[in-house]
Amino acid sequence: MKRSKRFEKLEKMPINSDGFSYEWVDVGLVTMESPNDPNPSIRIENGRIAEMDGKERKDFDSLDKFIADYGINVAEAERSMGIDSLAIARMLVDIHVSRQEIVKICSGCTPAKLVEVINHLNVVEMMMAQMKMRARKNPANQAHATNLDDNPVLIAADAAEEALRGFAEVETTCALARYAPFNAIALMLGAQTGRAGVLNQCSMEEATELELGMRGFTSYAETLSVYGTETVLIDGGDTAYSKAFLASAYASRGIKIRFTSGTGSEVLMGNAEQKSMLYLEVRCLFLTKACGVQGIQNGSINAIPLVAALPNGFRAIAAENLIASMLNIEVAAGNDTAFTHSDFRRGVKLAMQFMPGTDYITSGFGGIPNLDNVFAGSNEDCDDYDDFYVLQRDMKVDGGIKPIKEEDAIAVRNMAAKVCQTVFRHLGLPEITDEEVEAATYAYCYTDMPPRNKAEDMKAATDMMERGITGFDIVKGLHENGFEEIAERVMNMLKQRVIGDYLHTSSVLDENFKVMSAINNQNDYMGPGTGYRLSDERWAELKEKFNALKPQDI
Amino acid sequence: MSDEYENNITVTELDTASQGTGADEVVIAVSPAFGTKIKKSIVDIGLDKILKELCAGIEEEGLKYRFVKVYNSTDLALIASQGSKLSGSGICVGLQSRGTTVIHQRDLVPLDNLELFPQSPLYDETIYRKIGKNAAKYAKGENPEPVEILNDFMVPSKYLVKSTLLHFKEGEMMDKSRKAVNVEITF
Repeated sequence: MKRSKRFEKLEKMPINSDGFSYEWVDVGLVTMESPNDPNPSIRIENGRIAEMDGKERKDFDSLDKFIADYGINVAEAERSMGIDSLAIARMLVDIHVSRQEIVKICSGCTPAKLVEVINHLNVVEMMMAQMKMRARKNPANQAHATNLDDNPVLIAADAAEEALRGFAEVETTCALARYAPFNAIALMLGAQTGRAGVLNQCSMEEATELELGMRGFTSYAETLSVYGTETVLIDGGDTAYSKAFLASAYASRGIKIRFTSGTGSEVLMGNAEQKSMLYLEVRCLFLTKACGVQGIQNGSINAIPLVAALPNGFRAIAAENLIASMLNIEVAAGNDTAFTHSDFRRGVKLAMQFMPGTDYITSGFGGIPNLDNVFAGSNEDCDDYDDFYVLQRDMKVDGGIKPIKEEDAIAVRNMAAKVCQTVFRHLGLPEITDEEVEAATYAYCYTDMPPRNKAEDMKAATDMMERGITGFDIVKGLHENGFEEIAERVMNMLKQRVIGDYLHTSSVLDENFKVMSAINNQNDYMGPGTGYRLSDERWAELKEKFNALKPQDI
Repeated sequence: MSDEYENNITVTELDTASQGTGADEVVIAVSPAFGTKIKKSIVDIGLDKILKELCAGIEEEGLKYRFVKVYNSTDLALIASQGSKLSGSGICVGLQSRGTTVIHQRDLVPLDNLELFPQSPLYDETIYRKIGKNAAKYAKGENPEPVEILNDFMVPSKYLVKSTLLHFKEGEMMDKSRKAVNVEITF
């Protein structure tokens, strides 16, 4: 065939480097509305759910049972299930129906019912509903800080810059698992240097992650994965009970957690029971609620290249974020995984959560270049900051972060690197040289850093854990070495776990360690003039564009 | 996706695998469809070539290797964790058919590891040689400098669909009730 020059050019566009697939219901390669998704139903006998979504109790698998016993408000169930799904769908976009009213109805719904409700919505309606249903009044954002060499000085500097930009949470992980304690400490020190009260976590294998929290090196955890089929959950070595137990372990130490799930994960793990990705995800959300966990990180996460390869991918993802909010749990909304070669496409994906606002619009934004992102690359990275800021400015939307000046970034990065250097010295860890501090201050990525002896670092990290070092040793080291203010901040983060207020739904801390959550800062959107509106001060921060023309000067 | 890769890899099942006694042994634990239903990696590197490099890396350090096939899971962490418990040295290289690899050690929980190579489309023969070498060094009680980390954040957007389909194939060969077996792999 003689080729059309236009088709030839189109074929070479970035979008056509992405993977796409037709649907295949037999293996669960379908985002929404699988013919095998159950129809909603409920029957209550003696105050207990005897039938749910077409299944008798005797046929329940362990997830059904856990959800039926702990995830559904039986007192509301008959009323909620009696309301037509289309009517609930309309309430979601009706400004005269309050969030609280809808939350109450959803508390008595089954997974299949909420799926049926959401299937009625198009994406604009989902965004409208998301704006109303988000638990916390003001949206926030989260950042990744990692690098391919697990260089702790660079992590500290990156976290400090992210904190200064306004991220409420920062997250790290490791290229090499044995680096975990160093990465966690560096992240915490950087974050507290950049802005007091930023929450931090180190995503690791579960036992390590819990231990880092208990030691006081991290203040929250997020990568507690749940899955929507029993087989996949059990294959991962878990049951609903083991997840609930792990959640309690964190709660008992006063550490904030959310679970992680997302459309497509069951298919990736090879067992989707021929159900739609969204239906299985909704089971995860009910499981989260049933475990008493305050929040979820969802929005497909790692599986997004697969979900986005199928029809209705973005819509299913917006739906899963929204259903989490309808269940009154915090949503860290994804937008954290590179899934497309097309800048056009990734921008539009982000917009679906950016414009309505979620508790965390991304989970997270790569505050580092994607080549350094050990979570395998985010949908946004540090080269996108100005695009993101301009979009906030274009639309008067609060995406949770603000423009900063280069000199301020340099100053805070330098201080964080010095703080990290001091703590390493105090704890007897391998030296951080002045040359490394200087490099981290100005670095773009790991190749700008002098190489460290990794084998020695990892040995020291293991040894540090064996010596029983905790957050208090860090406070002491900072206090004795001229960093009293940072010591005070780290101490205040440790105090949070005794106070416990930040365990409430959708909590973030401000720079005075005041908790803002869905309890004291509940989303009260009911149409124009209500809900979160930018204050004049906030708008002044967000509309700043340092290199814009000052027309009066010309 | 065609499996008609022209290579001579053959997998012969032997007895149920038991724990090795030689401290000079590194176990290479492979996934259910390895070398039978799937004969090449996600980027079409013959699995024979991958094994050749892993084995050469181990032998260069003066150690021996043993092949074990795990049938009861397709999860790399669980495959490698079982392999490390069977390994005389306690060190195992876990390998999925698509090329994803991990170095595991007996006393670690399944999801922990010594070194993980999660982005299978990025690895060429050279990397597998280095992985074999490092596994052997851990087995000797050394603390080697880890193999360089490769990262291409565009890999999933290109390969996740294919990777999922390969995973289904592994799943078809999975048998939950079956214990790991020693296998002879010729290539």
